[in-house]
Amino acid sequence: MGFLWYLTIRIGGALATVAVGSFLIFLIMKLAPGDPALAVLGESATPETIAAYHKEFGLDEPILVQFGIWAKMVLQGDLGKSIALAGKFPIKDLLATRLPITLFIGMYGLVIAVVISLIAGTAAALRHGKLTDTVATSIAVLGISMPDFWFSYVLILAFALSLDWFPSYGFTAPGESWIGAFHSGFLPALAIAAPMAGVFARILRASLLETARREYVTAARSYGFAAPFVFVHYVFRNAVIPFVTVLGLQVRYLLGGVVIIERVFGISGMGSLMVDAAFARDYPVVQACALTFLVGVLFVNLLVDIVCALLDPRRTR
Amino acid sequence: MATATTFGTVLRELRQNRVAAVGLGITTFVLLAIAIGPSLSPYDPSMMDFTAILQPPSWAHPFGTNSFGMDVLTRVLYGARNSLLISIVGVVLGGGLGTLIGMTSAYVGRWFDAIAMRFVDLVFSFPIFVLALMLMLVLGFGVQNVIVAIAIVYIPNFARLARNTTMIVKSEPYVQAAQVMGQSRIRIMVREILPNIAAPLFVQFTVGLAFAIIIEAGLSFLGLGVQPPTPSLGVMMADGKDYFHRGPWVLTLTGLALMVTILGLNLLGDGLRDLLDPRLRRRSAA
Repeated sequence: MGFLWYLTIRIGGALATVAVGSFLIFLIMKLAPGDPALAVLGESATPETIAAYHKEFGLDEPILVQFGIWAKMVLQGDLGKSIALAGKFPIKDLLATRLPITLFIGMYGLVIAVVISLIAGTAAALRHGKLTDTVATSIAVLGISMPDFWFSYVLILAFALSLDWFPSYGFTAPGESWIGAFHSGFLPALAIAAPMAGVFARILRASLLETARREYVTAARSYGFAAPFVFVHYVFRNAVIPFVTVLGLQVRYLLGGVVIIERVFGISGMGSLMVDAAFARDYPVVQACALTFLVGVLFVNLLVDIVCALLDPRRTR
Repeated sequence: MATATTFGTVLRELRQNRVAAVGLGITTFVLLAIAIGPSLSPYDPSMMDFTAILQPPSWAHPFGTNSFGMDVLTRVLYGARNSLLISIVGVVLGGGLGTLIGMTSAYVGRWFDAIAMRFVDLVFSFPIFVLALMLMLVLGFGVQNVIVAIAIVYIPNFARLARNTTMIVKSEPYVQAAQVMGQSRIRIMVREILPNIAAPLFVQFTVGLAFAIIIEAGLSFLGLGVQPPTPSLGVMMADGKDYFHRGPWVLTLTGLALMVTILGLNLLGDGLRDLLDPRLRRRSAA
């Protein structure tokens, strides 16, 4: 049982979860009130046209058959068409423009959170029980306790409306200008990063303190290795595994936060697409967005598992 | 150590733990404020005063007034009542069902365990707001539905925790003794296991409550949750965002009140975990 076997099992598990998860999404959307035929055909619908629509899209079939039709379409790269948007856009095209924006903001936020927490968590652990520790842990718990959409407005008030350093609304896509994207995306990314940085810093601090007490660390010290060497090679490397694991678990909070933050800053990403679609009762779009978010979370967790397996080969045994 | 910890000893230890003490202090303050605050306020939460529209914070209106001239602090106190109540009911519902599923899963095992835990993994793969948003579409918008959405979001958390702790407690001598005495499974689960896994569940409840308040606020802020004129902290922040440039205090100070509430619960949860964890560790090591 080596690394490849571990990888195969992990990928298989993720694919199975996508399959069951997409059925769950499909089922939830089926339970939502309203007839999609009425939504598409509008006021002019007659019983005959409704029946014809049902027949065309297989809506009169049993639920499992309907799911089969949808799943087959999705696998062929066809996510259906939007009901509400004018011109009945193919959802695939919508996602193609929206997803990169959300990925950019999400990654940007994640990087900020990781940088802040690496500094704060390490500083707190190294100065355990001192003032630095108290300040860092207090800020961390404040970060966790802030709703990120509220923090967005605090940032807007301070850095956009008062200081005018950043725009308060709108986003320049990386396709237009990378500098513009980093500049206009900074406040939203920081807002998403704040609660995550708090969680990460706390985990890293606890994990560093726990690892520093291990016997092999004491042994390394007794050999007379320099303290920085012991910290980097014995403490940090082992302490970072729980940190990476939590990183994966936090992705669902990250993407959840994006849904609201995008609305606050007027960013046309996946989050605002899904919320707008929810208001318009544009079920196919909501369904496609939920599926994309699910795949995103599972993909990141798969990556995290692989990284952890590389850091700690015992996991693959 | 065999004797059950009484409420009194827990309270004494709480006061000795600095983090827990601060958390308990903040939470008590918030609870007192929303319990008696509204009756002390000279204003009515829905009283419009068109001579005092969008007044910045002052002695007369510590949190300022909103676009209808209503006193924001009074509305925050009323709104926090609703937000807290919605969150408590949601987490109690989700926690109760989740605990039931988790304990059954650990105690019955086999196929029930396998199915329940795969389902838990599945729900954990959805971003919380994406899940809540889909549920709101099915259930419709409004107070009851926010409660149901929170409950469904929390079932897996409690199920996993209850399952893992039950697994530890299950093999304890006193549970085996009860089995030997021929007590029924249900009786053992309720009388022997539940009291011994209650501590971590309570910690989860405290921390879960904090995040449930954020879920309520977030859904209502998007317009998918509690609907105006029912005041809740999320609804008031959504209202404040519409005229944020002219009166930023409405959204900012309402959110600050929200943050203080959550901070208190988080600190209390952290402190409780520190207090209760060593005991759990000692038990599992024995």
